Amino acid sequence: MDPFLYLDRDTWVHRLDPRTKMLLLLGSFVLAFLYVNPLYGLGVLAVVLLFGASARVLINLRRIWFVLLMIGVMTTILWSIFGGGTTPLFWFVEREAFLYAVGAALRIDVMIIAGMIFLSTTRNEEIATGLVKLGIPYRFAFAVSTALRLVPTIAATGSTIGQAQRSRGLDLESGNIIQRVRKNTPLLIPVFVSTIRSTNVFSMALESKGFGASTKRTYFLRLAMKRQDALVLLVFVLLLAAAVALRMAGYGGLEGFSR
Amino acid sequence: MVVLVALSAAIYAAVLIPFKGFTIIPGFTEVRPANVFPFVFGLLFGPAGAWGAAIGNLIGDFFGTLGPGSIAGFIGNFFLGFLPYKMWGSFFRRGENMEQNVNSGKKLAVYIAITILASAVCAVWIAWFNDLIGFVPFAALGAIITVNNAIAGVVLGPILLLVLYPRVKRWGLLWTEIMRPEEVSASRLQRLGNLLMWVGGLGGLIVGLIIGVGLYEQGLAAAGFTAGGQGGLGIGLGLIPFLILIVVASFMLGGREQVEAAEEEAETSQAS
Repeated sequence: MDPFLYLDRDTWVHRLDPRTKMLLLLGSFVLAFLYVNPLYGLGVLAVVLLFGASARVLINLRRIWFVLLMIGVMTTILWSIFGGGTTPLFWFVEREAFLYAVGAALRIDVMIIAGMIFLSTTRNEEIATGLVKLGIPYRFAFAVSTALRLVPTIAATGSTIGQAQRSRGLDLESGNIIQRVRKNTPLLIPVFVSTIRSTNVFSMALESKGFGASTKRTYFLRLAMKRQDALVLLVFVLLLAAAVALRMAGYGGLEGFSR
Repeated sequence: MVVLVALSAAIYAAVLIPFKGFTIIPGFTEVRPANVFPFVFGLLFGPAGAWGAAIGNLIGDFFGTLGPGSIAGFIGNFFLGFLPYKMWGSFFRRGENMEQNVNSGKKLAVYIAITILASAVCAVWIAWFNDLIGFVPFAALGAIITVNNAIAGVVLGPILLLVLYPRVKRWGLLWTEIMRPEEVSASRLQRLGNLLMWVGGLGGLIVGLIIGVGLYEQGLAAAGFTAGGQGGLGIGLGLIPFLILIVVASFMLGGREQVEAAEEEAETSQAS
């Protein structure tokens, strides 16, 4: 399995400037938080999924389906129990509380899916250069993009160490969840130690390439906002304005819900 | 340093992500054993550990808790890694062994105290911001984050520190060995800074909980995340003095004496 999230596709979303995608990501948070009513939340989810489908990256959702499901289920249960309403639905759960719960679950999942689409369509170098172009110091942007690149590497190291121990007869699969956590925990130490040990090699590699030697940097990756970016941003701003106007006109709320 | 920032962030995020499904407050926090890393990496790697904690948390957010609250998560987690190395030196006298380990009773006690304080400071920033923008009541989030952070730090931290410290020292990666004294700010009124940090962190948490529970009828812990009203001016304005205290105390704590102590120790060991 490829441990990296970025999916190399030739789509219009991939070709967008990373700054445009960052702005779209922030805008999607606003969209997600506009509506309490789950019907409208489903609309927002549909827009985000359509965007992801056009980038052909929705396959990455398979990696986080458990998180999406758990957050969806937990949010729905908790808000249904602790929220209040006026119309009884079943047992002590009110209809308004349940609808709010589903809306809240959709809201959180939409933001996670939007984040996943961003990471699946934007290369690490683009994220780093995009952040720099937005005024973030280069060292910080470099640390962010390097950390993003290292997360799957660390996961892969963990998997390799686990497999090596299994091949020596260590049983990591049997037992309940607590027993399995206890068996897996000692394997984390060599993962951390080997990762930290690589610091010196990594530092030397950077220094040999002149990292930080000059205060003024040049970039191989040259970013430029193109007509396509302007068009996408314009369409998104119009969509956002329409969504805000709809909300201000009283749509997308939930009558009778109380905390 | 930049490599240590990236490595700290990557390790923190890599352990945060598998637990994103174990939700406590949906979309805001979950079971986080990974929270041990900011304390340990803060102590070992100094500023790199603090920035690593902030960036690692942000990366982790992409897998389950991404949203406007991530801004406060960034700041809160920065302090989670920042306080351990800033506070450490203020508990030891000049000439005393300041090695960032827990191999003595005093060092273990200092580590636990700092862990609890850093947990509270992190919780105050995150819970204050999320209450201010009307997302989650302060009392619920503040209580959960403090306990969540402190348990991970107190239970797992000493073990991890005992395992990692000798290796990190052998590889010359301790922040006190990497940084030169002139690169680290000197402390000003260090004991007062220490005191102000306690007042800002624990005081802010306690006052926030009192205002939240008393004035806005918020509930504590997970059951409280729907109870009472958030976004009230009481918490929004009432906690600002405590946040200012935290920032002011951070500047007062410095850290140069730890680097100088490490240099002196290295010279002594070379001479012998």
